[in-house]
Parts: sequence; C-alpha cells; structure tokens
Amino acid sequence: MSLLVALAVLGGLAATAPLLTRILGRDAGYVLAAGFLGVAALLAAHAPAVLDDRTVDWSAEWIPSLGVSVALRLDGVSLVFSLVALVVGALVLAYCCRYLSDATARGPVYPLLTLFAAAMVGLVLADDLVLLYVFWEITTLCSFALVSTAGAKAAGPGRHALVVTVVGGLALLVAVVLLTLATGTTRLSAVLADPPAVLASPYAIPIAACTALAAFTKSAQFPFQSWLPGAMVAMTPVSAYLHAATMVKAGIYLLVRMSPLFAGQTAWSAVLITVGLTTALLGAVQALREHDLKGMLARSTVSQLGLLVAVIGVGTSTALAAALLHTMAHALFKATLFMLVGIVDKETGSRDIRELSGLRTVMPWTAAATAVAALSMAGVPPMLGFVSKEYLFMGLLSADVTPWAGPVAGALAVTASALTFAYGARIVWGAFGGPVEQPELYEPAPAFLAPAAVAAVVGVVAGPAVSLLDPVVDSATTDALPGSTPPSVYAWHGLSPELAMSAVTVVVGLVLFWQRERVDAALQRLRLPDGPALFTRGHDALLALGGRVGAPDRSASLAAHLARPLLAVVALGVAGAVALGPLPGRVDVGDPGRWVVVALLAVAVLGTVLSTRTVALVALVGVTGLVVALWLLLSGALDVAITLLLVEVLTAVVLVLVLRGAPHRLPAAGPRRWPTAVLAVAVGVVAAGATAALTGRRELSAAGTFFLDRAEELTGGTNVVNTVLVDFRGLDTLLESVVVGVAALGLLVLGTTTVPHPTDTDDVLLRVGTRLLAPGMLLLSAWLLWRGHDEPGGGFISALVAGIAVALRQLASGTVPTRSWQQPGVLLGAGAVLAVGVGLAPLLVGDALLTPFAVLPFLSSALVFDLGVWLMVLALVVAVVQALGARPRDELEREGVAA
Amino acid sequence: MTAAVAVGVLVAGGAYLVLQRGLLRVVLGFVLLGHAMVVLVLAAGGDRGGFALPGNGAGAPADPLPQAFVLTAVVIAFAVTVYLLGLLRAGAPDPDADPDDDARGPS
Repeated sequence: MSLLVALAVLGGLAATAPLLTRILGRDAGYVLAAGFLGVAALLAAHAPAVLDDRTVDWSAEWIPSLGVSVALRLDGVSLVFSLVALVVGALVLAYCCRYLSDATARGPVYPLLTLFAAAMVGLVLADDLVLLYVFWEITTLCSFALVSTAGAKAAGPGRHALVVTVVGGLALLVAVVLLTLATGTTRLSAVLADPPAVLASPYAIPIAACTALAAFTKSAQFPFQSWLPGAMVAMTPVSAYLHAATMVKAGIYLLVRMSPLFAGQTAWSAVLITVGLTTALLGAVQALREHDLKGMLARSTVSQLGLLVAVIGVGTSTALAAALLHTMAHALFKATLFMLVGIVDKETGSRDIRELSGLRTVMPWTAAATAVAALSMAGVPPMLGFVSKEYLFMGLLSADVTPWAGPVAGALAVTASALTFAYGARIVWGAFGGPVEQPELYEPAPAFLAPAAVAAVVGVVAGPAVSLLDPVVDSATTDALPGSTPPSVYAWHGLSPELAMSAVTVVVGLVLFWQRERVDAALQRLRLPDGPALFTRGHDALLALGGRVGAPDRSASLAAHLARPLLAVVALGVAGAVALGPLPGRVDVGDPGRWVVVALLAVAVLGTVLSTRTVALVALVGVTGLVVALWLLLSGALDVAITLLLVEVLTAVVLVLVLRGAPHRLPAAGPRRWPTAVLAVAVGVVAAGATAALTGRRELSAAGTFFLDRAEELTGGTNVVNTVLVDFRGLDTLLESVVVGVAALGLLVLGTTTVPHPTDTDDVLLRVGTRLLAPGMLLLSAWLLWRGHDEPGGGFISALVAGIAVALRQLASGTVPTRSWQQPGVLLGAGAVLAVGVGLAPLLVGDALLTPFAVLPFLSSALVFDLGVWLMVLALVVAVVQALGARPRDELEREGVAA
Repeated sequence: MTAAVAVGVLVAGGAYLVLQRGLLRVVLGFVLLGHAMVVLVLAAGGDRGGFALPGNGAGAPADPLPQAFVLTAVVIAFAVTVYLLGLLRAGAPDPDADPDDDARGPS
C-alpha cells in the first residue's frame, strides 16, 4: 500500500505544483524537494525487509480481460533506482529554487519535473509490463516537454530526442507484447521467474533485440547517442536531473531488470559489451574536444552510460553489482557537476572554456566542489567514483564471451577512463584555472551552492564508507540475478589488477592533461560523424519519402483519386475469379423482352460516353435512366421503376436549370481517353461477372416470402414495398429521408451565393402547359400519397410528382416558391417533426418505435409517416429549384446585370 | 443474366465518365453507377420472371425487400446528384480542365 501512497504523493505534488509556485514563487521547489525526501523515507522504511531479500508488493486490477494490473513491487533494484531518482530529484529541485527566476518558476518546469519523478519512480516500481511501458513513455514525454521549455532553439534537438526515444518506446512495446505472448502473463516478476519459457519461445531473439533497442535509445548508446548532447539546450536543472542522473538510467534499469532472462547469453553479452564500449570511447573522445562545459558533461554521460551497458552485458554478479554501484556514483557526481556548471553559467554568462578563466580565486567554494566531483568522475581515491570504477574494471575483466574478451574489455575501459580523467581535468582547469579575467565576480549565495555541495560531499564520504552500501548492493544484485552470490563491496581491495588499472588510468590521464594543447589540436583535426546532421538528413529523407508516397492523394485531379478504387475493383474481381468455388445453378427465367431492353441500354450508354455535346450527354443519360426503369418494370419492380422514372424527369429538369448558359461543347476527352476506356471496360467486366456469379442463383429469400405472405395481415396495406418502407423498416426510411434533407440543406448553403434568375422562357407551349398541368400534378401527388399503402405510390413517388410540378413552374416562368411556408427549411422541419412524432408516439403507450396505429378512424399512422417523408423529399426539390434556378452572382456581374 | 449484362454496361459507362475531364461528365458518370447499383441490388433478390407479358410466361413481382432498399436509394442518389450539380453550379473549379478550357467548366 505504501508504494501506491508514494506514487500518489508524487502525483499529488505534480498536480499542486502550479498552485505552490503561484503562492511561493520559485521557493516552491523546497516544498517539492521535502515531498521527494518524504517519499524517499517512505520507501526507505521498507529497506530492512528488502535487504532481507523480501519484496513489498501491491496490485489492483486494471484491464482484467487482458490480465493487466497495476502491480507495484519494491525489491533491491527498484530501491536503488527509486532512491537515486528521489534524492537527486530533491537536490535538483532545491537547486532550482535559486537557479530559476520567479517568472520561470511559475511556468511548467516544476510540475513537469515532479511528474517526471513520479513516472520514474513508477517505472522502477512497476511489476507489470504494460504499466512499465506506460511510465517509460511518460518519462519520454516529460523529457520532450522540459526540453521544449527552452523555446525555439529547442525545436530541432527536441524533435531529435523525441523521435529517437519514441522509437525505443515502440521497441519496448513490441518486447512487452512478445514477452506476454511467450509467457502468458504481463506480471514482470512472473516473467523473470521463468527464463526457460522466454528463451525457448520463438520470440526470444526479437524480445532481446527490442529490449536492447529500447535501452540503447533511452540511454543514448551508439548509434543513437547524439540526441543526448542535443538535449542540452534544456535548462541546466533539467539536464542535471533527466539527462544525467535519472531518465537516461531508465535504459540501464531495463537492462538490469532483464538480466535474469538474458545474462550469460553469448549474443546478448557480445552486443551489450561491444555497443557499450564503443559508446564509452566515442563519448569520451568527443568530451575531450568539446569547449562547452555542458556539452562535455553530456558526452561524458554518454560515455559513462556506455561503460554501464558494457558491464551489464558481462552479466556476472560482480558485473551487475558494479553497474548498480556506478549508477549511484554517476548520478551523484554528474548531477553535481551539472549544477555547478549551471552556477558558472549564471554567474559569468558563459559555459565556453575558451572564455572562462581563473574563477578559482573569485569562486573558491564552487571551484572546490567542482574539483571534488570531477575527482570522483575521474576515479581518484578515495571518492565513491573510484570505488565504483574499480568494480567496473573487475566486472569487465570477468567477461568470458571469448577468452580474450576480459582483457580487451578491461583495456578499452582503461582507455575510456583515462580520457575521463583528462576531460575531468579539462573541465576544472578550463573554468577555474588560469589568470583571473573577471575579478568583479563573486561566490554564489550559499543556498544556490548548497545542493551541489551536499552531493559533492556525499560523493567523498561514501567512498571510504562504501561498505555501508554493501547490503543495498548485495540485495539489489541478488534481485537482479537470482541465485548469484554478489561480491562484498568495500573501498580497498589491496594490490589487485584493478588497482593497477586505476593507476594506469590516472597516469595516462595526467599525461593527456599535461600535453593538453597537443591532444586538443589532434582531436580538433579528428573528423567524427555529426549525429544531429545525420538525424536531420534521415528525418528529411523520411519526410520526402512520405511526400512521394502521399503525392497521389494530394493530386487535384479527380481522376487520380477515382481511378484507384476502380483499380481495386478490378483487383478484387481477379481475386474473386481465382478464389470462387463451385456455384449453385442459375434459377432465372428466360426472358427475350428484357434482352431487348439490355440491348437498348448498351446503345444508350455507348452514346452517352461518346457524346461531345452537353445536350447530347444530358439527353442520353436521361434515356439510359428511362431504359433502366423499363428493365425494372419488366423485372416486376413496379414501385422502383416509377420512382426512377420520376427521378429521371426531375434530373432532366434540374440539368436544364443548371446548364442554362453552359458551353455547348464538352471539354475534349484528350489523351486519357484510351487508358480510361480500358480501365472502364475492365471494371464493367468485373461487375458483370460478379453479378452473374453472385445473383440469380436462389429462390425468393425468406424475408421476401415473409413480407409477401404476411404484410397485409400485419399492416393492413396491400402494397408490400410501401409497407416495408413505412411499417417494417420505418426507421431506415426515416433516416434516409434525413439524408435527403441534409442534401437539401447543403444546396441551400451553396445557394447563398446566387440571386434569383430574372428571365423566363419564351416557350409559350411550356408556359401554358405548365400552368395547366401543375394543379393536376399536385392533385395526382395527393392521390398517390393517399393510396400508397395499397397500390403503387407512397411518399417518395408522390413527392417527386409534386416536385416536378414545382420545378417545371420555375423553368417556365422563373418563379420560385417564396411564401414562408414553402421554404425548404420549413418543409424539412415539418416533415421531420411529423415522421419522428408519429414514430415516437407509440412509445407513450409502451409500444415499440414506429408501431402502426390509427391516428383518426380514417387516417393511419403509416400515412402520417409517409406525409413526413413527402415533405422532406419535396423540401429537397424546392431547395434545388431555389439554389440552382438562380444564377451565380458573379456571372450576372460579368454581364453587367449585377445587384 | 440480363441483370449481369446491364450492370456491366452501366458500370463500364459510369467508370469511363467519372475518369473524364469536365465535372458534368463526372456527375453523370455517378448517375450511371447509381443505376448499376439499383439493378444489382434488385437482382440480388432473385429473378422471378417479372410481369406476365407476351412471350414471358407466368411472372411474379420482384422480392419486395430489395425493392424497398433501392427505392430509397434512388431518391438518395437523386439528392446526391443535385448536390453535385449544385457544387458545379456554384463554380467549383474543374481540376482536370485544360488551361485553354473554360475555367468554370460547363456551367
């Protein structure tokens, strides 16, 4: 339970941080630091149990269907990493109280740092793989957000860091999924307790590879290391906390955690040792040629993380103990150095060693603290860094992948360490040595220096007193590598090989420092690949690739978009032709009448596609529609045939309205004529083949039989199609009418740019005919509506008849319905209210939606519903006439008729 | 089998038109594709011979369920067509037009 409390307190602190900063300004950091120490004490209270090789567990269900839970576990490893995160966090927050201005402190820095600490503690406490992944990603996002607070200059480096670490996060997600597949559980402790289940599964290699990738990206290992120096654009407390002491250690934590599964596997060891030592050497060389103090520290962090990865790769208990000890030592001295460099930066306004000189006389305490931390980094006795480096050497020497692995790894580690000594000296000498150039500077306030000084002193004291850490390291190593016997940790091993290696390190380091000008000149000539530039080039290339892949989608040509679904239809047809098995026999009826119709249809369609004049195209499309209506009629679909017939008439009227004044000739077909013809024929063949294969091979469906047999009995209507529309599937019809209404509204919106068409036709026949016909058509419409339930007719058909009357009247006399009750919006609303109202009414008496009932003795609910449909469809036609019967304003303006 | 041929002819014609230049052709291509779908859905209900006409033998009305489906579909297709015509009328630029064509297409 106290684990949950620890996380809840940290989360609560993050949530209240904005409030605290509003009240206390930058001093809110002290409250947060105290909170961190409180949580650290809460976790440390469990230390006796943990050191006794017990664990503290808490869990609650999260996603039971997947077996995912919020499971927390405190063991030796999590104790080490969580205490490092909390103690260093407290120091950094205390440092922030003097580093930040009140204005900056009110920004997002405090909440994000606290949220990060919560995520980091959650990450090391998580005993569920999914939970671990979630916390892992939260640390990535916090890092990105904190880097971004540096403003515009952080855009490039921030993106670099985010992309690299997110790629690692995705790799971790893959590893999590595969681990769960291999073991059947997401519980981390259960997965780790059963290495054979993982190693014997086919996923073993992908799991190891993804885990290593996740750790390498997070912990800035070669070839991903270059994001970390870039992230130094963030303010110094962020660099000290996230990018030196904690977040970059998440990868180290992951590798330590997974050691029970993979430690001792040759490939794992080989990869980790090779990558780790490469990173260590590369980072150290780059640190030694930097001039920016923060840049040196960042590359130093890369180098030290490399040593940690290498030693974890060795995988013996000595090696893991060394990794844990060095994690603590590195967090202490590196956070200290960052904080001190931040002080120098604040006081002098520069971090460039070519501009800094002689600060030891004006800032002696800062100089002393820096020297102490640098000595720890360089591995000089009696600092904690010396002890941990001895163990690193010991661990690397025990590498046994091949007989020569230990000595080679040891030699490379000595080289990296000698370089470490040299750049440590470079940092101290560069800033504090030499003649005084800025005598007006003075020591920072004690409160500013205190957090760094405390950490520096701890680093000194912990060296000789390292045996106090022995039980912690012992317990953590046992948890990291069950069944192993970790070495005892003490400061002095006597005259051992490691001591000799340390001596060589110091001597070579001193020589490098002594010859620093020649070394510097040689290193500056060295041409190393520029990581950020490579990333930018890769990133740009990726974006360019995406642009090329997406280019067809940005085409302004309709044909480019429409051709692809059509090609997909052809592909589908080919696939279907290959895959379709034997089909039942055809049951259709020989019918010479319909063959004649189809022949007519082919002629009409051919004429349509060949027409070059607008009038011919419109007329032939109309003819095609009429022929299709004829086919429907012969096939026994009377209601559909009538509807289509009316729609064709109405479409023709609308086309005439739209095309008044249009060019008589259509645009020339051009060179795309033949390829599109081939594609069109292919699509047509597929469509015909599919229709032949998949229809006409069964008798009347069960639903069709039911409707034909029972419709009259159940609804009282004899027009079965209409009963399906208004009774059986009324809700469908209602929603489809709404679609029609939406189209009407769309037209009204388009119509706002037009003015009423001022002219009317000279065609006397049309004018007189329309005037005579219109009243009759309205009567016909009413009659069709009334009888629709029993005979062909109904809301759709009758509304189309009425609509033709409206449209013809516009065409003939140029008048549009103008009275308020004739407006499409009003018709639409009235229709919707009627249809919905009559549909909802049965609910009042407990019946289902749209249950038929008698509104009045002679008026069924079906008729009222149909009237609603009638109004909505009529609204569409009125909207069409209003929107399309008018001429666009700009056209009138061109002609000088403008309003 | 008449349905299959009708669908094939209508789809081929519609597909050809929607790939051509000129928005009017595209809109009317969609009209033809709409007709094809009407025929297809109706054919899915099975062929029952249609009405008794000379030479047809005894027929019967088509399956009412697909009829109800396509009846509303015809009206919706009309709504979509007029909306597309509205766009054309409102002066939507024709992306496929040649520079020397009328920039506003056939409106």
